[in-house]
Amino acid sequence: MTMAATSHDTPVETAERPTRKQPDRTFWLLAPGALWMLLFLVAPILMMVYVSFWTQTTFKIEPTLTLKSWITFFTSDTYLGALWTTVRIWLIVLVSTLLVGYPAALFVGLFVKNKTLSTALLVLCVIPFWTSFLIRVLAWRPMLGKEGAINMILMKIGVITQPIEVLLFSELSVIIGMTQIYCVFMVGPIAFMLGRIDPSVIEAAQDLGAGFWRIFRTIILPLSMPGVVVGAIFVSVMVLGEFATSAALSGRKVNLLGNIIVTQVGSLKWAFAAVAGVVLTILMGAVVAALLRVVDLRKEL
Amino acid sequence: MNASGIKFGLGVYTALFIVFLYGPLVVLAILSFQTGPEGGPQFPIIEWSTYWYKHLFGLTPPSRIAPLPIDQALFRSLALAVMTMIVSTVLGVTAAQAFRKKFRGSGVIFYLIVLGMMVPGVLVGLGMALVANTLGIDRHWWGTAFVLHVVYTFPFAFLVMLAIFNRFDPSVEEAAWSLGVPPARTFRKITFPLIFPGVLSAMLFAFTLSYDEFSRTLFASGRDLTLPLAIYGTFSVEVHPNVFAFGVLTTLFSFALLGTYAVLMGLSVRRAKRMAIQEEA
Amino acid sequence: MSSVLQLKNVHKAFAGVPALAGIDASLANDTYVSLLGPSGSGKTTLLRVIAGFEQPDSGEILFSGRRIDGVPPHERGIGFVFQNFALFPHLSVAENIAFGLTNRAVDPVTDAKVVAGRVRDIIGLVGLSGLEDRATTQISGGQKQRVALARTLVTEPSMVLLDEPLGALDANLRMRMRGELRTIRERCGVTFLHVTGSETEALAMGDTVLVLDAGRIAQSTDADTLYSRPASADVARFLNCYNIFPGAVSGDAFASPVGALALGGVKQTSGNPAYAIRYDRVAIRPTDAATADDEVRIEASFVASEYSGAAINSFFTLDDGRVFEVETHLSHAAPATYEEKGRYALVWKREDALVFV
Repeated sequence: MTMAATSHDTPVETAERPTRKQPDRTFWLLAPGALWMLLFLVAPILMMVYVSFWTQTTFKIEPTLTLKSWITFFTSDTYLGALWTTVRIWLIVLVSTLLVGYPAALFVGLFVKNKTLSTALLVLCVIPFWTSFLIRVLAWRPMLGKEGAINMILMKIGVITQPIEVLLFSELSVIIGMTQIYCVFMVGPIAFMLGRIDPSVIEAAQDLGAGFWRIFRTIILPLSMPGVVVGAIFVSVMVLGEFATSAALSGRKVNLLGNIIVTQVGSLKWAFAAVAGVVLTILMGAVVAALLRVVDLRKEL
Repeated sequence: MNASGIKFGLGVYTALFIVFLYGPLVVLAILSFQTGPEGGPQFPIIEWSTYWYKHLFGLTPPSRIAPLPIDQALFRSLALAVMTMIVSTVLGVTAAQAFRKKFRGSGVIFYLIVLGMMVPGVLVGLGMALVANTLGIDRHWWGTAFVLHVVYTFPFAFLVMLAIFNRFDPSVEEAAWSLGVPPARTFRKITFPLIFPGVLSAMLFAFTLSYDEFSRTLFASGRDLTLPLAIYGTFSVEVHPNVFAFGVLTTLFSFALLGTYAVLMGLSVRRAKRMAIQEEA
Repeated sequence: MSSVLQLKNVHKAFAGVPALAGIDASLANDTYVSLLGPSGSGKTTLLRVIAGFEQPDSGEILFSGRRIDGVPPHERGIGFVFQNFALFPHLSVAENIAFGLTNRAVDPVTDAKVVAGRVRDIIGLVGLSGLEDRATTQISGGQKQRVALARTLVTEPSMVLLDEPLGALDANLRMRMRGELRTIRERCGVTFLHVTGSETEALAMGDTVLVLDAGRIAQSTDADTLYSRPASADVARFLNCYNIFPGAVSGDAFASPVGALALGGVKQTSGNPAYAIRYDRVAIRPTDAATADDEVRIEASFVASEYSGAAINSFFTLDDGRVFEVETHLSHAAPATYEEKGRYALVWKREDALVFV
């Protein structure tokens, strides 16, 4: 049914199809960035894996492949202790950021109906990030110290007579510091997910006579889960890679894998540092993969 | 449900939460005004003074407390942040521009780029130190540390630009081509001015992240300290209020930076906004 | 008349779904061509392929005798006016218009005086005088349309593609712009290829109308011929002014669901057999009125009437439930009133019907 409008009658010399192809722009736009990442991100990580099998002597390493560093790592109480401490601190901080952050996220994301106020509260949470991370860690020293603000206040109101010494230079101080620094990464995603809940759903549940806890358990909590998972991924990746907070607040009592790497590099024990790095990478990959299994993020977001 | 009671409770909790976030910083700011050099980093404030601020700038008589090595470190940190900002913004804009077209393998490239912000500094830092050590390259803040800073900030710039291009109407570019204007010139004259607010955001991200970065720098920068490394150096020794004074100053500097960004942003959108208002009126 | 654009067997598919399935067409120089098609017929794709924003999968495109498929858009010399106008939001009206002149790769105009002169001329032509320094956010939809047109015309392309250029305007303005677009085109002497989904717009504006259906050119002719002699039942249906019956020719009649309809009009070969009679060729009579020999008659029940300016459209249901529409021009007769659910005879001349076999 092609009543075609072709007028093939006008003889036009059919020039050859222009051979000039458009340059592959996509390739050249991506090449610099991709190359940068391959050279300075992927290659160093692969190098780390490779070096973990090198032979470590007291002063240098040699590219003779061996499992010795790995065996040393898994038979040494220090290294295994660091691995266990890392996992323990990570779990505690994960739970504490969730417990500390969730109610605040609930308030900002669900209970504050005023858009301006909820934005203002979120901005208030983000402002501390414009202070150096290290300064924020250090700020806990005058808070938690023997003569710090908390002890002083507690003594003044007569709750205690002797300053609590365990507040600073202990595992507790590291956990407090990390909780404060990272809980905002929990609050943000959760508040975002809660903000997307249609208020009419909750109103309908209320009309049906459901109490707050029931609504919380059956509606609010499940709908906020993707936010919890995203927050957990943020917090996990950052806490597992930590070494500065424990360096500043534990008085060398808490040694994370990160601290092990720093000290091993400091004493030029490259192979041991590399082993610790590979262990940390595997741990982190497993944690992120596990969290992504809990909730299908692509579907939820 | 007893909504108002719960709301009140959560409101009080959120207020306490804010106190938890800000408390240490407020205490730190107060203690930075401790008298010196005998006053320590704790309460009570013996006497209010700006001694430690003067101490930072070397305006006090020499004492047993060594001044923070900030003059050189400040220069290095700023230079590093500017270099990182420029390179990662250029990379971010070009990569995001490429992502506007569908192409095979885009998923892999996307994750390759985003990996840069996910992998902790300890690991890349260690990896880079190993590479430098093996190849016999000297580690410097302007070399090995700089490339790692870009690895870290480029993904942020990329994601910002990706979001900007998502909302960009490509027909203005096609309109320019159909007028006979070649793609490169179209990008310069049409696309770039329109995405400029996004570019500014990407630059701000890259600058602040780089300026504050220390874990990658620690492994990859060798002997010369940047500002965060100078602060990190005080962790293992006794802390004096000069570090607190320094913290107050860097925070003020960050706010100044944020203010500059706000002004630039305001200037770039003010024209459009004013016209939109006139149109509505 | 020499042709400015030729398309030969152009194919284009998106993810395996064909959008253009072998387009053959030739556009004459210095004419107004409308490209009419229902949504999804591939008309915007065709325009984008001609402009070079999309690459055809196969086929040839010749522009002024030169093969242009594979040539990037900025080297084609074909103007494009977008439905959303796509004005440069950061430039003023005058800057928008001058942009192509000063920035194009071939023969850019660098002399500010020359640019100003040509911008002034074109602003006068499209009627935008006094708005030169306005921002594009400060002008109305019709004015944006004129800027988009002026911006393209000032670069003197040999052809301008317009993608539903009136779609974003309100009804009043649309009517006015129709006339203006034709006048402006005549003054510039370029070919306009105007894509639209509205059959009235296509018929009113095009010297030539191309009808696009399912990725193919279904018909290409002048408005008058298209209106009175659509090439297929599909085209007729799309023109929205024909009652169409399916069925088949048997002997000297067309067997349709409402009975045998006597033949006598033009027979055309097309894909699906059908019988079509234009709304305005049908007379409504009482059932007892006489029928002449050269007339075809069916009976139907009256449903409702609808006034549309100079005409009145009456709707009937046939015995098989089909709706039948009759358009009566009010200049011919005073509007008759019909009884709801009443039976009437619908009568037309045999030779007025179109038969597709």
